[in-house]
Amino acid sequence: MKHIHTIPSIGIVANPASGRDIRRLTSKALVFPTVEKINMIERLLGAFGAVGVEHVMMMPDMVGIAAGLIRAIDGHRAQGLQPWPVVDFVPMPLTDSPRDTQEAVRRMRAAGVAVIVVLGGDGTHRIVAGECGDTPLATLSSGTNNAFPDLREPTLTGLAAGLVATGAVPVSEAARRNKLLRVRGSKVDEIALVDVCVTRQMHLGARAVWDPATIAELFVTFAEPDAIGLSSIAAMLEPVGREAPRGSWVRCATSGLGVLAPIAPGLVTPVGIDEHGLLAPGRPMQIRTEQGCIALDGEREIELNGHQTYSVTLELDGPLTLDVPATLAAAVRRGAMVRDLIRSAAP
Amino acid sequence: MTKTLTREDLLKAYRTMRTIREFEERLHTDFATGEIPGFVHLYAGEEASATGVCMNLTADDHIASTHRGHGHCIAKGVDPVGMMAEIWGKKTGTCKGKGGSMHIADLSVGMLGANGIVGGGGPLVCGTALAAKLRNQPFVSVCFFGDGASNQGTIFEAMNLASVWNLPVIFLAENNGYAEATSSKFSVACDNIADRASAFGMPGITVDGFDFFAVYEAAGAAIDRARNGGGPSLVEVKLSRYYGHFEGDQQTYRAAGEVQNIRDTKDCLMQFAHRVTSSGEIAQAELDAIDAEVKALIDGSVVKAKSDPKPTEADLLTDVYVSY
Ligand SMILES: Cc1ncc(C[n+]2csc(CCOP(=O)(O)OP(=O)(O)O)c2C)c(N)n1
Ligand SMILES: [Mg+2]
Repeated sequence: MKHIHTIPSIGIVANPASGRDIRRLTSKALVFPTVEKINMIERLLGAFGAVGVEHVMMMPDMVGIAAGLIRAIDGHRAQGLQPWPVVDFVPMPLTDSPRDTQEAVRRMRAAGVAVIVVLGGDGTHRIVAGECGDTPLATLSSGTNNAFPDLREPTLTGLAAGLVATGAVPVSEAARRNKLLRVRGSKVDEIALVDVCVTRQMHLGARAVWDPATIAELFVTFAEPDAIGLSSIAAMLEPVGREAPRGSWVRCATSGLGVLAPIAPGLVTPVGIDEHGLLAPGRPMQIRTEQGCIALDGEREIELNGHQTYSVTLELDGPLTLDVPATLAAAVRRGAMVRDLIRSAAP
Repeated sequence: MTKTLTREDLLKAYRTMRTIREFEERLHTDFATGEIPGFVHLYAGEEASATGVCMNLTADDHIASTHRGHGHCIAKGVDPVGMMAEIWGKKTGTCKGKGGSMHIADLSVGMLGANGIVGGGGPLVCGTALAAKLRNQPFVSVCFFGDGASNQGTIFEAMNLASVWNLPVIFLAENNGYAEATSSKFSVACDNIADRASAFGMPGITVDGFDFFAVYEAAGAAIDRARNGGGPSLVEVKLSRYYGHFEGDQQTYRAAGEVQNIRDTKDCLMQFAHRVTSSGEIAQAELDAIDAEVKALIDGSVVKAKSDPKPTEADLLTDVYVSY
């Protein structure tokens, strides 16, 4: 029998590696330091504590987020401030690779956490989405170059997650279903949450796709003109909403007509367009490029060498994510933010 | 702009990494016999870093190295035969046998020197970079330094100076997790050295140091940026050394199997060979041929180093000062 928490519990995944790839050199993306990730988690804990969340399952890591958090919790306790939930680190072996995230999410799900808060970029959320099943995610961008997660003050995300975890707002009012793209090859079955980009860059190399001149094909789940990153190329041709039952695709060209797209922080560049169209759910589209790499949510993951064929399919049953404004509005409507100050004040 | 690695580039990268590995493995064996004077700190395991960086440089660009400098030297183009003689303390060595492992320098290829002073390279590259900038030359300077050195004042001062003067410098942090026997977990306050870049107003990135392609591309972006006037940056390369801090180090501070696990799963030469052969870019037979040539080169360098003459008493007072 798997162990299910009876008190409301929230999982936290913070990707130690996010926010420090090559895009800091090729665009104006900023380093996202470990100390800031720790501080974001502290802000989450403050919100959780305030709405009655008693337990948190935290992913451990090897580069100091967990260590810094332990120091922060000790300091918080010593000062006798408003209580935070008890934070337990998921007991698991570490590999200092994305496998750690997968393992942590599997264990959080098995333990029955109500919500998983994710701090990271599109890539981190992609990895979590592969394992989280129907456990809703509260997304937080730890970086400047993401389309999927919210760029939001963590205190508010923490409140929304806490209100859902304690049952003050039902998941049905708080969560939205996302789309995903599935990439299939003879030995490959991978997902992406925002975009699948085929680049002519030959090697996985520094992973991030940063050179617009190398982009050959692009598939997106949604395309918002106010989102940063590769999906903006599709957005500038024809916006596709997050909840629309379709995606879109683009084949790029090096000459002819194009669109101006904000493909990275501070980098607004014309991208040539050969053809583009809408992507219907469940209908695989073949990747045409033979030499290059397939990037999932902005990071090169699969090297193409002409021997294998790959397809991309839009699916409508991606992960659930909390809509923070909707959750907080629902909480207000339900009176969940009202407190009796006389009774709750300490004698 | 993306640089495409040609077949020749790939073969060169492999040859460089293999030469460093063979050189270091051979020193590991030979040092144990007690015939080699001084200390050696081996670079085995870290080859993708020096190679990935230096493949983006020309002889007019400068690098400053560390006490663990053999790999940087070879990647920058210093002759391994002269290096071997230098380490054996012979007159035919790169520095006439007077420097040894920790002071191999060859200005003709832009190698400012291995350096026994941890963190000593930062101020040096600020000098060469300032010279290039004042002369309007498109040359960059790279300072290799370790996680231990990342805590030295010299490195902070150099990062500050490079930033305020917008110098074409790349601070290349080789984070192998240890400074002598001290784990970086105990000594580096911020855990990711790259995080420190923002304090000096420069970009910082972290890259997998076992992956030549990742280092080549990331360092290439930093170098292009500096060359085009974009200023300094910090590139943190995460990797591991295969041997002790110095030869003779018992390494009681490392977990059993730590190194073997890395050799089996992450080794830079293994990964590189797998990538280029499975993509069909290079045939295994070509890599085997390079292995054989490199082995012959290093074998020959040892035979020569052993039989070459030592410096004499008369050499003691020459090369002490350089006149400009
Ligand atoms: C200024 C200075 N302080 C101390 C030493 C002694 N020492 C030699 S190597 C070393 C550790 C350097 O560690 P790191 O920078 O991580 O380089 P690594 O050996 O790991 O390549 C120390 C402390 C020295 N040579 N110079
Ligand atoms: Mg070190």
